[in-house]
This record gives sequence, structure tokens and C-alpha cells, in this order.
Amino acid sequence: MLANEVYIADAGIATALYLSMALGKPLLVEGPAGVGKTEIAKALAHALDTKLIRLQCYEGLDATTALYEWNYPKQLLHLKLEESSSASEAEKEAAIFSEAFLLKRPLLQAITEHERAPVLLIDEIDRSDEEFEAFLLEILSDFQVTIPEIGTIKATHRPHVVLTSNRSRDLSDALRRRCLYHWIDYPSLDKELEIVRAKVPTIGQVLSQRLTTIMQRTRTMGLSKIPGVAETLDWANALVALQATELNDEIMAETIGCFLKDEADVATFKATQIATD
Amino acid sequence: MEIENLVTFCRALRERGLSVTPAEVVTAATVLQVIDTKDRDEVFLSLRSVLTTSIDDFPVFAELFEAFWNRSPRKLIERDSGTTVRARNVSPPKGLAFFLENWSASVRAGAAPVKVPGASDTASRAHKDFTDFSHEELEQISQLARRIVKRLASKPSRRWQPVARGHRVNLRRSLRLSLKTGGELIELAYKRRRAKRTKLVVICDVSGSMDMYSRLLLQFVYGLQNSFAKVESFVFATTLSRITGELKNKTYRRALDRLASNVQGWSGGTRIGASLANFNVQWLRRIDKRTVVIILSDGWDTGEPEQLAHALSKLQERAGRLVWLNPLLGNSMYQPLTRGMQAALPFINVFAPAHDLASLRALEPHLVL
Repeated sequence: MLANEVYIADAGIATALYLSMALGKPLLVEGPAGVGKTEIAKALAHALDTKLIRLQCYEGLDATTALYEWNYPKQLLHLKLEESSSASEAEKEAAIFSEAFLLKRPLLQAITEHERAPVLLIDEIDRSDEEFEAFLLEILSDFQVTIPEIGTIKATHRPHVVLTSNRSRDLSDALRRRCLYHWIDYPSLDKELEIVRAKVPTIGQVLSQRLTTIMQRTRTMGLSKIPGVAETLDWANALVALQATELNDEIMAETIGCFLKDEADVATFKATQIATD
Repeated sequence: MEIENLVTFCRALRERGLSVTPAEVVTAATVLQVIDTKDRDEVFLSLRSVLTTSIDDFPVFAELFEAFWNRSPRKLIERDSGTTVRARNVSPPKGLAFFLENWSASVRAGAAPVKVPGASDTASRAHKDFTDFSHEELEQISQLARRIVKRLASKPSRRWQPVARGHRVNLRRSLRLSLKTGGELIELAYKRRRAKRTKLVVICDVSGSMDMYSRLLLQFVYGLQNSFAKVESFVFATTLSRITGELKNKTYRRALDRLASNVQGWSGGTRIGASLANFNVQWLRRIDKRTVVIILSDGWDTGEPEQLAHALSKLQERAGRLVWLNPLLGNSMYQPLTRGMQAALPFINVFAPAHDLASLRALEPHLVL
């Protein structure tokens, strides 16, 4: 299924996704940065031909940005327009606190999607704070939301939920237990090569082989920012754009910024490279 | 894998510390119905995604799965519970029990005689060494700990809370209020940023060389622990133990009693580097930029300084601030020349003394991020 989506899946991720759908449980994907955790959700949405709704987490994220918020300007405007009308206070209240004045944020969107179950991607959940995690837990357990003014909104289709985490903070046991778990590591040489050739088809056989080998070796150098697959692809794209056919010193110097983002790491890389060549 | 085997397998996982509750067992059983149970890899991957909650669980899972797939579940459980029993029978080292018994005895003794508030001014008492502190003075330390904790909680976060008076209008509430006046915004509601909660991690050295100070410092840690929810405390001598749970007790005495029965290796030698490395393996994930890490130690390390430096650099990279309190700094003759201390210095944000009340008081501003 996923092969068509230019996502090179392995048995592990395929099994996890299958179970997540079969059991209706959210899937928690952990792994180092840049190994394609987010891509899983995108590929899944594409494969199921459904909408991808993404909630990017950050510190301080709260219900008004994740779930819903009232559209205040619209409410105020409505009240002004209705000023001279004979509607009672209760009627006015009912009018401005109705669905038409509701701004749906990603979580509510995912719940109210009526055509078919969307894929809900909750990205970098470890960046949000513990309060938000607890709030999320509630949503993920029954897929319903209670808005005091409107009532309870129940999911028409249970969304397929994918959560990703970089492990910058420990998630609560409760959340972990609610989810299926999958760990994505850096790919093997063969798999990475396959990914590069699938995503950047115009890159030559020799060049892709050489580039992937270097990337694999880079990850064992003990750098402070280990490049992920995203960086490999950036680099591959850069090489194609520069119409490079081989990796000589000049090309290397021009494009090293694609996969090494730290001055000290560049120095380490060069030193190790010379030592091994 | 049959249901019975699965249940035994889950129990074995639980005994090895994985959080496998009956709910997970039920899910696992459901999983076996929707997959090809003859395909070893499929069973492995499926059960792993249900029964583990973190990559840290993977090795144990793989090991036990191997054993179960080859069908020797009984043996495994027996062997497993056997080791737990044996481990429990090992009595805690003499040194610890001895130390704690004497320690709590001395606290009681200090409280018994009525203390006459003499002419001694607070300043001189503040400079008295911790070794001869009375019960009331220990109480002062607790108070100080509470004050520090209060200050820690006073930074604005990105979340909002409604207040009666403020600078930002709370639109949601204001609109609701306006309905009373027919949609005219007359009365405004306000909101302000909620206070940000700084977390505190205290790692206290209780090795032999720290004996004089550990009593006071633990009192300090106890005070911190009980005035603020987000404090994690650890002690180490040769190995690291988490004592957050033990310290969460109504009285200091009871906390000490629990420490005595649960912590091992008291008053022994010091392996700071190894203990901190161990801390990093287990707890580093919990450290973030909102965390202040306090290490209480004299820096006498019998381990390799490189290990200490490495562990500290990891810790500092991750934490909001790394504070090292060294009781020996109180002595004006002291120079941090030990190999351990030398290795540690480049990674410490605040290096301060902690030998008396005054020094702890001076610490206050450093703990606020």
C-alpha cells in the first residue's frame, strides 16, 4: 500500500499502521530527528485518499489553538447588527454561540470531518506541556468534545491518529499506554539508498551510492547534530540542482551545509574524512 | 502463541518492569486475532507495538519473546521470580543502617532539650557549621527551601489564566459578559500569563566524605521536595538512587525511616562520574530547559574525571541551569583542585558553597531561571 506513495516502509511500520487501523488505536512514533516520522502520516493519508489534519505542538499550546475558539470579531459584528432587532437576550446568545461562530482548530476539524476518517497527525507531542498531554488524552479516548455553549460533538468517523515525538521530554505513561508504539531508527544503507533513488529519481547510480555511504558513515562520527534522512534528501536534491556527477572536494565544500548544520560538526567531519580516505 | 502463553508472557514482561496491565493483555489478545499468528516476525512486531511503550523496553521484549516463541514459558517465570526473591533477601549494607539510626537519634536528641534563645545573633548562627544544628534550625532550612521554591514558580509561562485586573482583555469572557448589556461591551474581563513552573532536580552526594553535611543537605532537599510538586531528588555514593518517593512524607522522621530501608550504599566511597552517567541513562529525558539541576557534592571522586566531565556536559546541554554546591567552598583556604572538581568546572553554571544557612540563602537568585 505504502510503496505507491514513495514511502519506503519496512515490515515494522506497516504492521504498526495496520494494527493502528484494525484496533482503532493511535500510533505513537518515536525516533531521532529527520528519519521520516511525519512522512508516515502523510503517506498514510495519501494511501487512504483522505485528508491529513496536522497539529504542530509547541510549548504553551492550549485548547483554544488546538481544539476550538469563538470567532470574536464575527460575534461582535453580529451583535451590532442585531442591536435594533427585537430578539431576546437568550436568542442573541444562542445565535452567537452556534457553530457558525466557531473556529475549528485541528482537533475539532478531525472529529467533525464528515466524509471519511481523516488522518490526524499530532506532530512533536514532546514539545507541548504536560497539561496539554492530559487534555489530549481525554480527546483520544472518546473522540468527543464538549463545548459548553453547544453541547457534545461526537466524531462521525474516528480519525486515524499518528503522534510523533523526538523524545525531548518524557511522555506520560498514560499517553504511552493509550497508543501503539513504534520506533524508527536511521535506515540501513540499502534502505536509505532505496529512499534516495525513489525520492530523487534523477540522481545517478554511482552518485547516490557514494552519497548514501558518506551519510551512513557520518552518523557514526559522534556529531552533535546527526543528520537524518531529510538531510540526505536535501543533499541529493542539491547535487542534482548543481548537476554534479561526482563528489569532488569543490562540490563537497559547496554542499556540506545540506547535512551538517554545526560548525564543530563540519570540522569533525573533515578530520574524520581525511583520516579514512 | 496461544492465549495462555500470551498471558504468561505478559506477566513475565510485567515482572521485568514493563507497564503491561490487563488492558494491554486484552489488546494483545485482540491483536493475535487479526494477524497471521504463524508468521514469527509479524507476531513479534505486532505484540511489540502493543506491549512496549518506549524503545527502552525493546531489549527486554526481544529477549522474552525469543524465550516464549521457543516455548519454555514456565521455566522463565520461575527463574525470574527466583532472582527477585534472592535480591530482596540481600540485607542493606551495615553502613547505611548504622548511619541512619544514629542520624535520626541525633535529630530527636536535638529536639528534646528546651533551647534557650541566647544572645547569639542570627548572623553568627548562620555561620555555624551544619554539624551542630538543632531541630529548630533545621526547620529554618525547610523554610528557606520553601521560599526558594516559591520564587521558582514565579516566571510567566505561555499559558493564560483569567484574572480580575490585568493588561490583556479576555475576549471570550468579555463577550459573554456583554450579553447582559445587550451586546454592548461595557464590562471587560482580563487574563494574564500563568506562572511558569520551573522544575528542580537535586542530586545529593551521601558518600563518607559528605557525612557531615548530608544530614543538613537532605533536610534542605526534603524541604524542597515537600513544598513543590516538580522536584525530583536523588542520592548517590557509589550508585544512584531516586528518593523522590521516600521524601514525600509528612514528617522528616518518617521520610528518613523510609530512606533507611530503601537506599543502599550510604556513607561509602564516591563515584560521581558513574552515578551521574547512570542518572543520564535513566533520567536525562526528563531534563529540559525549564529544569534547574543541583548537584550537592564535595567533588571527591574515585572514578575517572573524563567520565564525570562527559556526564556533566550532557547534563548541562539539556538543563536550564546546572548548579554545583560544594560545602568545602565555605572554607576560604579551599581550592577546587581535585581532579574531579577540575574536570567538572567547565560545565557548571553556578559553583557555590553550601556549608551553612547563609550560603543556602545566597543561593536563592541562582535558582530562578
